Amino acid sequence: MSRTVLICDDAIFMRTMVGDILTQAGFEIIGEAETGVQAVERYQQLRPDLVTMDIVMPDMGGIDAVREITKLDPGARILMCSAMGQQALVVEAIQAGAKDFVVKPFQPSRVLEAVNRVLAA
Amino acid sequence: MDAARYAALFLSESREHLTEVDDALLALERDAAHANAAATGAHIATVFRGVHTIKGMAAAMSYAAVEQLSHALESRCEPLRSAEEALSGDVLALLFDGTDLLRAAVDAVPRGHTELTSAMRAVVQRLGSAPVVDDAGANVRAITDAPVVISDVPSGAVGIARRVDVRLTADCPLKGVRAMIVLAKLSALGTLRGTEPAQERWQDDLFDGAFRLTLQSSASDDELTAAAQSAGDVARVAVTLATPTPTQGSAGVTDAPRTVRLDARRLDTLLDLVGELVITRDRLLRAIEQSDRPDRAVVRAAADAARLVATLQDEVLQARMLPVAQVFDRFPRLVRDIARDLGKDVRFTMEGREIELDRSLLDAIGDPIMHLLRNALDHGFEDADTRRAAGKPASGELILRAARDRATVVIQVQDDGRGIDRDVVLRRAHEQGLVQEQITTLADDALLQLVAHPGFSTAKSVTSISGRGVGVDVVNTRVRALGGQIDLETITGEGTVFTMRLPLTLAIMRALLVQVGGDTYAIPAAHVMEVLEFHGASRSTGALTITVRDETVPLVALQQRFEDDPLTPAAANPDGVRHVAIVEVAGRRTALLVDALLAQQDIVVKPLDAVRGARPWFSGATVLGDGSPALIVDVSSVA
Repeated sequence: MSRTVLICDDAIFMRTMVGDILTQAGFEIIGEAETGVQAVERYQQLRPDLVTMDIVMPDMGGIDAVREITKLDPGARILMCSAMGQQALVVEAIQAGAKDFVVKPFQPSRVLEAVNRVLAA
Repeated sequence: MDAARYAALFLSESREHLTEVDDALLALERDAAHANAAATGAHIATVFRGVHTIKGMAAAMSYAAVEQLSHALESRCEPLRSAEEALSGDVLALLFDGTDLLRAAVDAVPRGHTELTSAMRAVVQRLGSAPVVDDAGANVRAITDAPVVISDVPSGAVGIARRVDVRLTADCPLKGVRAMIVLAKLSALGTLRGTEPAQERWQDDLFDGAFRLTLQSSASDDELTAAAQSAGDVARVAVTLATPTPTQGSAGVTDAPRTVRLDARRLDTLLDLVGELVITRDRLLRAIEQSDRPDRAVVRAAADAARLVATLQDEVLQARMLPVAQVFDRFPRLVRDIARDLGKDVRFTMEGREIELDRSLLDAIGDPIMHLLRNALDHGFEDADTRRAAGKPASGELILRAARDRATVVIQVQDDGRGIDRDVVLRRAHEQGLVQEQITTLADDALLQLVAHPGFSTAKSVTSISGRGVGVDVVNTRVRALGGQIDLETITGEGTVFTMRLPLTLAIMRALLVQVGGDTYAIPAAHVMEVLEFHGASRSTGALTITVRDETVPLVALQQRFEDDPLTPAAANPDGVRHVAIVEVAGRRTALLVDALLAQQDIVVKPLDAVRGARPWFSGATVLGDGSPALIVDVSSVA
């Protein structure tokens, strides 16, 4: 059975891109979220194997969403999607419970490496 | 105490912190719109930390102006930091002003000025703090505020203390964060005793991805290695037994600095010596080759020495590599200031700050990049109304990007402005007689040649920001002098990208040594495709050509080329068989006629002063094994 993924990003462009990379690698995208609040709700409903999380999102940012999701499920596997220059925020996200990160612009190979690391842990 | 050394340290560290503070203020200004409390807090903390550190150093050095300004800034940040007060635009402007004067105060120190000027005093007052009283307490505070790194060993810790040395891959992004993930993986297997460098420094720009953890763990060495590697982007892990640690409570088990500050000239000297060693190695190997009955032991020892020299050369070159952040980090502030002077709204982003370059290159690329950024700001971007009318976002996008591409580093300056208007360039080129009238279209490389032509400008007015015409030609000359090349892509209405492609190091290159008119010249081997005997040229439409396997290749006689240059003395024609070196630049082949081929070997490059117009055919000089000098041919300009 293919692994399930929830993609959280406020930009359709980024959701599409991450979705394409993961779908091509055999993952099943079971949901998308545009805000941190949605991310937490969807996580609760869908219990995906993996979450990809943008840092800056309206409503509730990615880092707070990581905190909330980790509270719901301490074993949640969350991969942060960061831009260059967000080092401090990525640090915060990892401290909040995210398992790994990738840096935009995304290279498919790097995304898949990170996803596989998170799922293997 | 060695006052001069401390003064130098004060200057370099203060400037580093000022750059961080500038960045944080810019970030605050940028983030003001979407008021992310966490980010705002972090930036204010950075500002606070920066000025606080500067204050501590200034107090220790008795630099009154620096101390009072940084104290005033720190005090002004305090209520912002504790979120008692929201950051307003006025306060932000005040912090910018204060930081400017703090930089001025730091810069004034080497000139012997350490007292507040009236402008500084005014800002201190506006920042609203009483001048700091000159008491001994300030110094003490700065010292006791030093971060405590070593974590206490819990009584329940079990297992053997191990040292885990980790090196992250060179292309690993956000190395500091990746190191945290390694730390988390290892901490799960035992009790962390300390890190080196301290964790606080992992997010520094200078963190190069090499670090050491001390861990008390009952896991095996292999388990620890596997755990570290599972964090990803790990190039190397080495687990060793930790040396017995001093008794608990004595600080500094693992917090000894991993980096030393070193006078840069020492690195230059080392590199020069390695260069000489490389040349000597080549002479030794040649001598052995030429001897009739070489001694086997000598041959073996020479081969070992040659290998060691190569390793040493790599290490020394590596030690000279620095992240481009050292140059890039001053640009956000400059770009902001220029954009503001021009009344343009521009979003500036930088990518690849962690990419490394040789020191000597790093020193040399700052100006060319600044030129390109200025050009983009001044000429590239339209005003907001024009942009909106063209269906573009009102604020312009300016990107400075560094990336590694095999043995080169690529630096790009990209704007989404109006693009270079080919018609205007062409019209101006026709007027100045640079292009024949019948030519009516321009490819990107022809366009670049025109805008890089000395004195060529299409700017309607001269501004203080990018001047008249001198811009792209200076950049082009500089980049070429560094052994690099520059490309231009522009789309009318969509923007312009300047791409500089630079070698990783200037220091050593492989070259073909040739003789022309009695002198020795070096042709960079990277450009040489093949070498052939010369059997005469033919003349087609005025130009000399030779035929190489059915292909017609233009011929350039180097001697004639050089003689056009009054700096190169003419020499007698030699006799005997002459050769041509087929070189390729930007996909175009040219045959260079030389009198004799001498050797192919590594040369140590000594840059010529990149004075515009001087010695156009040469990119540098070198000293040969026998001590005689040779000029390095700039293939792209002679071909």
